[in-house]
Amino acid sequence: MRRILFVLLLTAGIAIAAPKVGSSITIRVLSAKVMKTPKFIGSTAGSVSRGDQLVVKEVQGDWYRVEGSSSGWIHKSNVAEGKVTLSSTPGGGTGKVNQEEVELAGRGFTPEVEKKYRDKNPNLDFAHVDAIEKTSIDPAELEAFVAEGKLQ
Amino acid sequence: MKYLLVAIALSLSCKMQLTPESIAKSWHAYQDAKKDLTPENEYYVGRSVATNLLSRASYKYVEADAFKTGELGPSTAYVNAVGNVLAAAAMGASRKDDRPSPIAGWHFVIVDDDTINAFAAAGGFILVNKGLVKAAKSEDELAAVLAHEIAHTVRGHAIGSIKKSRMAGVYKEMLNNTVQLDEAQLGTLTKAFEGAMDDMIDGMVVKGYSRDTEFEADRVGIKILADAGYDPQAFLRLLETLEKKQGGGKGGFSATHPSAKDRIAKLETEAAKLEKRKVPKVRVERFKNAVADL
Repeated sequence: MRRILFVLLLTAGIAIAAPKVGSSITIRVLSAKVMKTPKFIGSTAGSVSRGDQLVVKEVQGDWYRVEGSSSGWIHKSNVAEGKVTLSSTPGGGTGKVNQEEVELAGRGFTPEVEKKYRDKNPNLDFAHVDAIEKTSIDPAELEAFVAEGKLQ
Repeated sequence: MKYLLVAIALSLSCKMQLTPESIAKSWHAYQDAKKDLTPENEYYVGRSVATNLLSRASYKYVEADAFKTGELGPSTAYVNAVGNVLAAAAMGASRKDDRPSPIAGWHFVIVDDDTINAFAAAGGFILVNKGLVKAAKSEDELAAVLAHEIAHTVRGHAIGSIKKSRMAGVYKEMLNNTVQLDEAQLGTLTKAFEGAMDDMIDGMVVKGYSRDTEFEADRVGIKILADAGYDPQAFLRLLETLEKKQGGGKGGFSATHPSAKDRIAKLETEAAKLEKRKVPKVRVERFKNAVADL
């Protein structure tokens, strides 16, 4: 039984190997910067949003060079493999959830569940976290911050 | 064996196609919920935990007005710059079983509380008390604080503190891949969500995580710190400062963390493996300037 289980787990592991050149990926995070070089901190080539679909042109470790609405490098942790129809609200907006989204994002804790939780806890003010998550720091500014601080 | 049978039974009950992937996924989830909660799930958990923690602080946090206009105030922008440099190092490390990038990015908030403490709310939301920022003596020591919290996030410690029994109760709904859930199913999930909030806040604020969990956050945190280009020894210096400030006290981090002395003893071996770096004056100075008005 252990051997069977090992084979099953290995099969699941293979499913998350790097995408092939020419295949598509879908942006999973709300927004991400496409970088000019394969690193998190540096000059950006453009921006992408959740649901954007791009074609992989090159793979370097965990970084994919992509082409599409923006062209450049993006890290694997920001994407889902293949073409997936995603709404801008993670897990699907109310009434707009589709089968692909359910299969990718899973059930459990979704916008519908958060809404019910908020209705039951009206004392909690989510406006703060709504505002906080809208802020961001430009990777090019971070590059200057790193250089000034003599990091790396 | 019994887990596999339960997984198969659950998959069948949910009318899922029985594939090797679904069986493996079910088996994993029944064993450890943190491996099965998607980044999307974690996003909603993180938003709610952060809101609960801010509520406990009466929504008092530094430069709150700037956030309302979509901007970061100067002190908060500085802490977010340090935090995002560390987060980049953490995500670039690709450690086995690390959580992927948070769906909404990394966000660092300075809570207007003089108690020495910090919290990783899951989903990339990190709250650090003003008292802890002021206890640090340099950017590298502040970075050590943030690296420890980032380590909690990437290792999934908050979502890992959700009781397995609670997750098992909603497992059928979690595997249900139909597009629309009915009211009863939503009710079950919402009840589990509330329970998950209790478990996580209990772990962060009341009981604390296990000693091993905290040591793992230190061990991974010091590696993140070094990978980002900071001096790993700053982690030990910070712990020494905290030990002096709180000693055997019971408030703040003392209530939820092993003693600083124990943490230093555990961390010295890890620190010795990492390259020592001189802290340039510029980092000390810009830290002082950024936190001067706190």
